[in-house]
Amino acid sequence: MVELERRGIPTVLFTAQTFVHDAHRSAASFGLAGLPLAVVPLPFTNQTPRDIQGMAERAFDQVQAGLTRPVEAPKAVERPPLDERLRYDGDDLLDAWGRMQTDFLARGWSDGFPLVPPTERAVAALLRSTRRGPADPIATLEPGFGIATVEKLAINAVMAGCGPEHLPLLIAAVRCLAEPKMYIRNKAMSTGPHAPLVLVNGPKGRAANLNSGMCALGPGAPSASNTVLGRAVRLTMMNVGHTYVGVSDMDTIGSPLKYSLCCAENEAESPWEPYHVSRGFARDASTVTVHFVYGICELHDFRSTAPDDLVQVFATAATNVAQVGTGLWLIGRRADPRSKTEEKEHNTLFICPEHAQVFAKAGWGRREIQAALYRAARLPFRTMILNKEPKAMATAHPELAWLADHPDLPVPVVEEPTCFDIAVVGAAAGRGAYFYGAGEPVTMPVED
Amino acid sequence: MARLEILNPVAKTVEHSVKPAPRLPTLEGATIGLYWNMKAGGDAALDRTEALLREKFGGTTFRRYTGSVGWLMRHCTAEDADRIAAEVDAVVGTTAD
Repeated sequence: MVELERRGIPTVLFTAQTFVHDAHRSAASFGLAGLPLAVVPLPFTNQTPRDIQGMAERAFDQVQAGLTRPVEAPKAVERPPLDERLRYDGDDLLDAWGRMQTDFLARGWSDGFPLVPPTERAVAALLRSTRRGPADPIATLEPGFGIATVEKLAINAVMAGCGPEHLPLLIAAVRCLAEPKMYIRNKAMSTGPHAPLVLVNGPKGRAANLNSGMCALGPGAPSASNTVLGRAVRLTMMNVGHTYVGVSDMDTIGSPLKYSLCCAENEAESPWEPYHVSRGFARDASTVTVHFVYGICELHDFRSTAPDDLVQVFATAATNVAQVGTGLWLIGRRADPRSKTEEKEHNTLFICPEHAQVFAKAGWGRREIQAALYRAARLPFRTMILNKEPKAMATAHPELAWLADHPDLPVPVVEEPTCFDIAVVGAAAGRGAYFYGAGEPVTMPVED
Repeated sequence: MARLEILNPVAKTVEHSVKPAPRLPTLEGATIGLYWNMKAGGDAALDRTEALLREKFGGTTFRRYTGSVGWLMRHCTAEDADRIAAEVDAVVGTTAD
């Protein structure tokens, strides 16, 4: 709508009451804070045509007004304080720290857990871990177009509990977030529970003591490094990217995965080349991969000793049509209209070392698993299309209209076999993890 | 009494500014674009809006649009926006939420 206003065309946008703040904030970030809205009480999704028509009728005056009355500037524009230093007084330092927590919660700057105070000294210690200067901009991070300077990343990293060893990893993660193909605007602001899964490969992850083995995704002391790095990514999305719940993060349910979701690949126990090598990086390189995921399903199997049997079990996780990405390719590809980048929907599998050995002993690598899973993970068209808009499918794939006449035909859950990303993670016992992904993963090298 | 001094974690933002388009003096005789991003239900709202506009304002004509890229939500590219701007006088949009 803002782009049409820029072109001289008056617009008005139907918006549900819950999303009014979000719509104003989003329009403001694109430069037009007063974009006219026709506010309706509920989202149109899951409503009967009659109820939708009723809402449209009651909002009709707003539609007319939006197109004919002058646009009013918003009354107030929210701004964070310009002061780069914040001061909290208390009876003692613990009391002052408590006041800081309370203030950060009130401002929306906290993830809800206690934060480490980002003192100048603590931040300076992190800044010494990179050759970059504090004011160096790493990226502009959407949805709020926040300028991700090295110092702002270091501040948020300190708040998360990070040490100097984490800052180069966080910088790489932020470069992943800002890559146009990531289309973070969509993932940050969605009603879906998009959580950034952070996977680290190479020596810098080991130097940072990231856990790739037992309980790699936490909780607990062995995964402390993982926990704080993943948390720093979330705090950076909030305070640098301006992704704030109820303002620009409209997640319907939320997810514990959004607090922190980070580990390293268990390269030592993998029978295959490391994940980052499979993505074109040198074996001795250090990388960070970020893949936004919606949810996680266990891949449990203590019994199978043949690859095909394991794939059949894995396929049951992949064929969960209640998960938004399943079969989503039928209605198009996630796409950022500005950069014109497109993403296929990927899913990430953390295969435990024991399961990896079952595949490896049979001569299977990633490619064989991907191909077999692509063949096995299918659902009848009638099931796959249950939660998808038929008109969207007709627009995206008019050549597949014939599927409507073959509702029992099995359809693959992803667009192609490479949409299954595979890393080896974890310790003993046959339990892996299947992450229902949102778009494609992005990998960046870790630089000093 | 103790003081805790810390650094502000919130990043400055790149500011954008877009001037709102002039509004129409009347919708009589206007060509109105109805933009739907293909999220479920939005089309029904636009159907009813079109009917109401037809009833109230004589000579209105309508054009339907959706974005040329996307999936659950279809988005307008710059070229889509150029085309829409060349074809209509005003746009009513729905993203269904």
